[in-house]
Amino acid sequence: MDRSFLADQDVIAASRKFVCIRLATYEDAEESRMLRGIFAPGGNLQNTVFALLTPDGKTPLVRSGRSPVWAFGGVRGPGINAQPLESIKKMGRTMEAIARRYPGNERDVRGPRPVPYLADLRIALNVAAADRQPLVVVYSTDRVQRAQMERELSQVVWSEPFVGKVQYVAAQAAGEFKSVQGLAARSGFIVIQPGTFGLTGRVIGTLPPETDTADLREHLATALNRHRPSQLSYNQHRQAGVRAGARWQSRVPNTARGGRQGGARRGRRPRR
Amino acid sequence: MDWKRHRCARNRVRGIGVWTGLWILAGGLLTGSVGAQRAARPVAAKIAWHGTWKGGLAEARRTGRPIMLVSAAPQCHAVPGVW
Repeated sequence: MDRSFLADQDVIAASRKFVCIRLATYEDAEESRMLRGIFAPGGNLQNTVFALLTPDGKTPLVRSGRSPVWAFGGVRGPGINAQPLESIKKMGRTMEAIARRYPGNERDVRGPRPVPYLADLRIALNVAAADRQPLVVVYSTDRVQRAQMERELSQVVWSEPFVGKVQYVAAQAAGEFKSVQGLAARSGFIVIQPGTFGLTGRVIGTLPPETDTADLREHLATALNRHRPSQLSYNQHRQAGVRAGARWQSRVPNTARGGRQGGARRGRRPRR
Repeated sequence: MDWKRHRCARNRVRGIGVWTGLWILAGGLLTGSVGAQRAARPVAAKIAWHGTWKGGLAEARRTGRPIMLVSAAPQCHAVPGVW
C-alpha cells in the first residue's frame, strides 16, 4: 500500500473531512464485488484499489485506479513510496476542494461517531501488525454491554492522541481469541500487541467493560504505551516471514496477475 | 622514592578511571534522557480508517461526507503483517 501520498500531513489533514475506508483485498466476497465495480481491469480485482467517492459511495470524484498515482500522477512500479511532491500536494489540494463541495451535515458531523471496526479478529491482528499499531478489542458476550462499551469508546477514538493510531475490532466469544496469548478477562477492552506477522497477538492491557470515557482515555493511553511495534524494514519483514514460514491465506481468490498466493512461486512485486 | 612515584602513577590511573567512569555515566544518563524524550514524543498524525465497507459507507451517508477508499492485501508474497 502507498506510503507516500497517504503519509503526507496535508493529505492526512484533508482526510479528516472525509470518511476514510480501508479494506483488506480478497477477504470479503461482497466487498470484492463492490471493489470490482470501482476498478478491475479486465474484470480482475487488483491487489490495491484507490478511489475518492461521493457520500453515497456510487460516483468517483477522481480517476480511480490502483493508487493515488492514477489520479494525481507520479511514479508507478519501483519507487512508488517516493512520489513527486507536486503529485502529493495535488492530492491534498483536490481533497480540500472536494471537502468544500461536500461539507456534510454539520449536526451529524459533530454528533457521536461509530468505532471504526475491522471485520474480525483474524483480519484485525494482520492489519494492526501491518500498520504497526496496537489493537483494542471490545469484548463481551452480551450485545447490550458491548453497545454500551462502544458508546464510551467512541468518545475516545476520534480524539487525540488516539485518532488513526489504534485499530479496533469487536469480539463476542472467547473462541475468537485462540491466536492471542494472555487473555484472562471474560469481557472488557482488551489491548493487544500483534505479533510481527499479524498471525498471533499478546494481551498488554485489559480494562473492565464498565470503564467510562474519562478513565478509558487515561488507562488506554497507559496500556497503549506498552505497545512495541516491529522495527523491521519491508524487505527484512518479508525475508523474516519466509524464514519463519508465516503464510496468509486470503478468503477470496486472489485475481491479480494470475492470483499468486500461498505456495505460489515468488516474483517481482506488482506495479501499483 | 620509587614507591612514591609508583603511588602517584597509580593515583593518576585511578583519577583517569574515575573521570572516565563519570563521563560514561553522564553519557548514559544523557542518552537515557534523549531516549525517554523519544519515547514520550507523540506519534505523527495518521489517517483514521474504517475497516469495513458497510461501516464506512453508513458513516458517509449519515454525515454527508465524501469517501476516500483504499483497498490492499495485508500480505506480500503470502507473508502477512505488511501492506
